Amino acid sequence: MKKWIAILLSGVLVLSLVACGNSDKSDKKESAGVEKLVSEYGFQWTDTSAPILNEKGAKELTFRVYSSKNASALDYNDMKVMQDLYKMTNVNVVWENVSESVYSQQKNLIFGNSEDRPDAIYHAGMTTGEIIKYARRKVLLPISDYLEYMPNFSKILEERPDIKNQLINVEDGKIYSLPRIEEMGLLQHPNILFLNKNWAAKAIEAGAVNGLSVDDLKDGLALTCEQMEAMLRYFKENDMNGNGDVNDERPLSFVFNNWQGNQCDLYGMFGLNDNLEHRVVVNDQVIYTIQDERFKEATNFIARWVSEGLIDKVSFEQSQDNFLANGKGLEIYGAFYWWESETVVSNPENYIVCAPIIGPHGDQTVCVSNNPEVSTGELVIFADCPNVEVLLAYFDRYYDPFISAQINYGPIGIVYEEELDEKGMLVQKEIPEGMTADELRLQNAPLGIIYLSDYAWNNVVNMEPRAKLRLERLDAYVKPYVPEGVKPCPVNLQFTLEELNKLTKYESNLNDYIRTNLIRWLLNGGVSDSEWASFQDELKGKLNIESIRQVYQDAYDRYIKNDGRKLK
Amino acid sequence: MKQKDLKDTLGDKIFYAIIEVFLVLVTLVILYPLYFVIIASISDPDAVLSGKVILYPVQITFSGYAKIMERQDVWRGYLNTIIYTALTVILSLVVTIPAGWALSRKTLLGRKTFMIYFIIPMFFGGGLIPFYNVMSSLRLNNTMWAVILPSILSVWNLFMTKAFFQSSINSSLIEAAKIDGAGQFRIFFSIVIPLSKAIIATMALYYGVGQWNSYFNAMIFLRDESMYPLQLVLKEILIATESTVGGSGETILEQYRLANQIKYISVIVSSLPILMLYPFVQKYFAQGIMIGSLKN
Amino acid sequence: MEATNRAPKESLLSRQKAFLRMTPESEKLRHLKENLPFMIMLFPAVLVVFLFSYLPIYGILIAFQDFVPGDKILSDTTIWVGFENFSRFFNDPQFWPLMKNTFLLCIYGFIIGFPLPIIMALMLNALKSRKMSKTLHTIFIAPHFISLVVLVGMLQLFFGRYGLVNNIAVSLGGERISYFLEASAFRPLYILSSNWQDFGWSSVIYIAALANVDHEQHEAAILDGATRFQRIIHVDLPAIMPMVSVMLIMSIGGLMGVGYEKALLMQTDGNLAVSELISTYVYKRGLTGVPDQAYATAIGSFNSLINLVLLIIANTMARKFSENSLW
Repeated sequence: MKKWIAILLSGVLVLSLVACGNSDKSDKKESAGVEKLVSEYGFQWTDTSAPILNEKGAKELTFRVYSSKNASALDYNDMKVMQDLYKMTNVNVVWENVSESVYSQQKNLIFGNSEDRPDAIYHAGMTTGEIIKYARRKVLLPISDYLEYMPNFSKILEERPDIKNQLINVEDGKIYSLPRIEEMGLLQHPNILFLNKNWAAKAIEAGAVNGLSVDDLKDGLALTCEQMEAMLRYFKENDMNGNGDVNDERPLSFVFNNWQGNQCDLYGMFGLNDNLEHRVVVNDQVIYTIQDERFKEATNFIARWVSEGLIDKVSFEQSQDNFLANGKGLEIYGAFYWWESETVVSNPENYIVCAPIIGPHGDQTVCVSNNPEVSTGELVIFADCPNVEVLLAYFDRYYDPFISAQINYGPIGIVYEEELDEKGMLVQKEIPEGMTADELRLQNAPLGIIYLSDYAWNNVVNMEPRAKLRLERLDAYVKPYVPEGVKPCPVNLQFTLEELNKLTKYESNLNDYIRTNLIRWLLNGGVSDSEWASFQDELKGKLNIESIRQVYQDAYDRYIKNDGRKLK
Repeated sequence: MKQKDLKDTLGDKIFYAIIEVFLVLVTLVILYPLYFVIIASISDPDAVLSGKVILYPVQITFSGYAKIMERQDVWRGYLNTIIYTALTVILSLVVTIPAGWALSRKTLLGRKTFMIYFIIPMFFGGGLIPFYNVMSSLRLNNTMWAVILPSILSVWNLFMTKAFFQSSINSSLIEAAKIDGAGQFRIFFSIVIPLSKAIIATMALYYGVGQWNSYFNAMIFLRDESMYPLQLVLKEILIATESTVGGSGETILEQYRLANQIKYISVIVSSLPILMLYPFVQKYFAQGIMIGSLKN
Repeated sequence: MEATNRAPKESLLSRQKAFLRMTPESEKLRHLKENLPFMIMLFPAVLVVFLFSYLPIYGILIAFQDFVPGDKILSDTTIWVGFENFSRFFNDPQFWPLMKNTFLLCIYGFIIGFPLPIIMALMLNALKSRKMSKTLHTIFIAPHFISLVVLVGMLQLFFGRYGLVNNIAVSLGGERISYFLEASAFRPLYILSSNWQDFGWSSVIYIAALANVDHEQHEAAILDGATRFQRIIHVDLPAIMPMVSVMLIMSIGGLMGVGYEKALLMQTDGNLAVSELISTYVYKRGLTGVPDQAYATAIGSFNSLINLVLLIIANTMARKFSENSLW
């Protein structure tokens, strides 16, 4: 027994030594104070094209920024954009790069090791909940207290109250992180329906589809669900690709519960604007589509297509890699939902873009996803960062549209020509041999905090051609079918601590419950009325869907009410 | 061995036939997926993913191998892994074998206490954050010792070693040595060690392969990519993530393609060296015959 | 200490007598002299465990706190919540499903996975051709080197809807089955693939132990007319029994300790109802969504507690029925 006590005692002793050792080594640099920064290091922040510090400042002040980086990217210290920024600003940032998977493991540990933190984390990927928790413990710097040093960012906040509102997600009304804003308008509708033109023509010529002629087969075609069903059945029963095998055609495909190219558009046939969270805002009311009676009807309808083989069951098990790999070579897809057809199939010219399918009761609408175009937690700064004014003035430059474009796509000199075109926009350079545009971009662009919106697309940088094409398709064949008053339920809301605790406690169980039931219904022929009723009871009972909905409703109400409010 | 063969009875013959047939069947089940790894590594990744590769490679390409081989970080990772593994094996044997021997002795003072002392941490750990902070206080963060030191003792391996000594070292041999006046160290070094080549080889293998295959401590404690072991480098290429660093849909797909191509190659690249070493380890398993002669 | 351990039944009186017979100094000295080398041999192991296992153990206190990384675990700002994290877990609707899923996966895995390496080791050892035995064993350990990501990727290919297994089934007149969406297929797939991967590797230790079996015993048995099978049962098996029982006790102690990585990789909406394990749940709670470290730690400690109880039971049983207990 004595030995035990001895072991325990020595344990405690060493423990306390460790603890003391920790608190002793507080060799953190002190802040110089803005006045001294100005007088000694020539600190200035008003002219956003002049250096922020003088030569002395460049030598004596350094900042440690921790950042994950893409596996193909160069070390940020070696990136031309970063080196250009240093030349422009004289702010010396030392990047500590780790890979993405390493970062996800080290993130908690960096926050946990309070004695040896970097000054800031870039690509921080902080969720609203994390920001709220760390802000309350005063770990993070309230960036909005320093707006005067950030002219570009302040301007964004002034011009765009909607963005500002998404950023203020802590109760005290302050902003604790810098966002990434890339507004292309692509994310809200993640699915487009594509149909194999040649197969459809064969089906029509064979007389399998009523009320349709081959001439109708062009972009924008709106099929009724009866027509679609007949078409898919014909695909299934015939050797459409002519390889002698009747069974290798997949009439309708998607990737179940994937962030894009998923099943949600099918629920549009019943007037539901479903998404992966099944949560959407209709006339300022947060609703769960899963509680709607129409959801039952739609599920049974889709489940019938599944059991009849019109939707291949592989859609529920495949990863997006499998889905894409199967699109290459021999044509096996009749119709599919995806972001764009170009990545899926070898011959995209064989596929037309369809408008949403018209449901049995005449409904015709699409998925409205909650994917935000503003990622709030992209950069956080630790509260004890010395001379933080300089660092903020430096990061403010990232929001200059020309810098944003280079951060996002790669620097002038590598990706863009030195000369602008006649409209003053950046001109793409020729891609070096043996590389794809994407490889070049990933290698040279850090991505991260940027502001690219309409102004930038019109005056600074051309949208990538593929993005442009998708935007045109969305404008023509998807967006017109979204009813008035239906909006995504924003992810970046402001929650009180109590609300946050509710979400932590209940939300993942709710999601799991919905997910396990939904796939079971869709794969096994549908849901019976009694099963549906008990599902609803469970939702309202054990799974607390009402209180979760209320949390989102309250947060959403605050969000719209506060438009244009002053920062605290 | 040879004389015995002559005396095989019919029953023995049937018995041998049964286990041979059984083992051949097992071998087939083991071999097909291994064969698949090889053919998949030289096939077009799209063909692999869409299930077209079954019995032979499709659209043979060595571009994946070329891509792996031209990467500096893979070679550096190899070197790092070899260094980490070698050091781990040496240190772990120094720590485990004597401790296992001591624990196997009935005369050890406080034997039960020691056993319990070793068992408790198998069940209760403080989690990552305290572990990280302790390593940081010991100034081990971002050094190779953070990868090596925590893995030089596995309680499982220690107890296996102990069990081996208990069952395989003849106690009369030890008693005899004691009577001859040999000290504990002498006994350990000149009697126990020579008789324990099998367990030493096994432990070297278990610790070595454990370190060879591991990436977790490296992932947690290393910030400097030039110190990454091979497995971590491969993991970085393999697990393309759709995270904040993002990029366009197309860029992400490009990474997935690379990941899929390298998936099967990574198995071959990382396991071949050890598999080639294994027969050398096996040599030490044929020790049994020695013991009898030593006894006299 | 050892003396008292060895003589629990002796009366106090006889112990006092024994005490008087020997001077305390010489007794102590003898013990010390004999044990000093052992202590030196043990020291490195004790130190390593102390540094890397005992020092961080204070982190368990997180389970009793409202903890966010960066909080000091022991200071006046610590927010103590008592057993709240534990009671929350007991009231979690997931509690029973998690326990059941973890237990069933582990117990089936144990029933198949524990004897298999022993049987394989005995068989390989019984083969007449050493060369064949060695070659086969080298092949058997190869799957151990396949990383989990690749292993699960292969499973998905082989057992996918259009994969090898389904293609064979269809050509034999069967139906296509999406194994990864069937809850009932999760455990068999998980367990069989784990055994496929590791039985050869786990049998290394038994093969090493079998290598040290005294050859004279076999020869004696042959003279007695024992068949090869009888020799396996009466010579080989007893020789590795101490190893087997240590492994048995420790496996039972680790019964509920299945890791999260593979289950997480194999998880789909279709099998979530059986593939959600304590460890995957802890992982999700501790690292994803709004991370809740304290809750995750509480669940983890509860899991460890179950394992410890299992270990104690196993060891007690072992002590009762054999000589090969851990302590």
